[in-house]
Amino acid sequence: MTKEELQRYARHFVLPEFGREGQEKLRAAKVLVVGAGGLGSPLLLYLAAAGVGEIGIIDDDVVDLSNLQRQVLYTTEDIGKPKAEMAKIRIQALNPHIKVTAYKIRLDIDNVLDIMAPYDIIADGTDNFPTRYLVNDACVLAGKVNVYASIFRFEGQVAVFNYPNPDGSRGVNYRDLFPEPPDPDAVPNCAEGGVLGVLPGIIGSMQANEVIKVATGIGQPLAGRLFMMDTTTFDTRTLKIPKNPNLKIESLEALAEYCATPQYSHLTLSAEEYMDWLSRQEQHFLLDVREVNEYEIHNMGGHLIPLGQLSQKIKEIPTDKKIVVHCKGGVRSTQAIAYLQEVGGFGDLYNLEGGIMAWEAIQTVKK
Amino acid sequence: MVTVKFTPALKRFFPEIKEEEVLANSVEEALEKLEDRYVGINTYLRDESGHLRKHINIFIDETMVTDRQHLSDLLEGKKEILIFQALSGG
Repeated sequence: MTKEELQRYARHFVLPEFGREGQEKLRAAKVLVVGAGGLGSPLLLYLAAAGVGEIGIIDDDVVDLSNLQRQVLYTTEDIGKPKAEMAKIRIQALNPHIKVTAYKIRLDIDNVLDIMAPYDIIADGTDNFPTRYLVNDACVLAGKVNVYASIFRFEGQVAVFNYPNPDGSRGVNYRDLFPEPPDPDAVPNCAEGGVLGVLPGIIGSMQANEVIKVATGIGQPLAGRLFMMDTTTFDTRTLKIPKNPNLKIESLEALAEYCATPQYSHLTLSAEEYMDWLSRQEQHFLLDVREVNEYEIHNMGGHLIPLGQLSQKIKEIPTDKKIVVHCKGGVRSTQAIAYLQEVGGFGDLYNLEGGIMAWEAIQTVKK
Repeated sequence: MVTVKFTPALKRFFPEIKEEEVLANSVEEALEKLEDRYVGINTYLRDESGHLRKHINIFIDETMVTDRQHLSDLLEGKKEILIFQALSGG
């Protein structure tokens, strides 16, 4: 350790339980952070600051203005830039003594085991269930510890899964708590349900604490337990998760269909093509399936029916026009089109590729 | 009587939801009684077959429910049911 590193980590050295030995263990630790969003922001900052020797960051998203209310890794200047790369630049500037690798791709069943291979600890801070189950199952198959955290509105959860027991067996995993993945639209995400900006700061810091405990061996990690917190009341709980003796995770194949992007047959329109439609006054009905608060921030003048209300308000959609459906990035609009196709009776249904984000990107270019 | 506590995430669908006391022999009976106070709550917590939905979990006095299908876990001598759900946000 260099003189500068000794000074940098001086407050760790004076902790009797941590000391030089703990710092050496952190320097030897290799941690993959899955998702560089709300949870990933404090997590990456604290892991880098603490001196985790090797950090991987995987995220295929770009920084959006609506991220900055909670994703404190990024600045206004980063809007439109890849999160993984911006996060790498930020934490590398915070601590030049560590090795940081950015993966600007989406984790899937074909790449997950290869990407995880060089790391000892996986920190799951993703924002969707398919990736959470993918990370969980891959950790079980590859024998990695999964430090898990999740948030919604004012509430957060933290746990340490697949932690090694003294006898060599592994502790509980996410499927011991929630055995099967929910239907993709059964649980709203933060874009739909909202999230208090400071919440990922609190929960992501707890997640960083667990990563550091696992890496250094200090304290008692949250292995086999689920911590839950309601920030509105400050109520907290830690529940013991029982191991399901019948649970077996033997491959990722069962997740293939669940994790795949829904492949519905529908027409698509790029933002450029839609601009062309507008310029030649192509008759159509623009349907926006985002939430009311998202619409209020910015909209394209479409008719608003949030995805969850589609069945109740379906009569508001005309059957004698071409319909262009959009959301923020193109996922909810795909689900909406699948539903409308199931109901039937509508004209041609077009999905606006990349949603309002793609639309606004070409407006920016035009300016 | 057993006290039923809910995840705050349920407030999105049942804004008035709060801690409740119910007299019930099993978890299923407790959920049925809650339906009178929060119409539609069983549809949110259970699927068409009456099984606990995949993203929902229930703990009884800090012990995880064992029968997710029929919710037959008995409540005799128990003090608290905690109903919560998986969170996806990050």
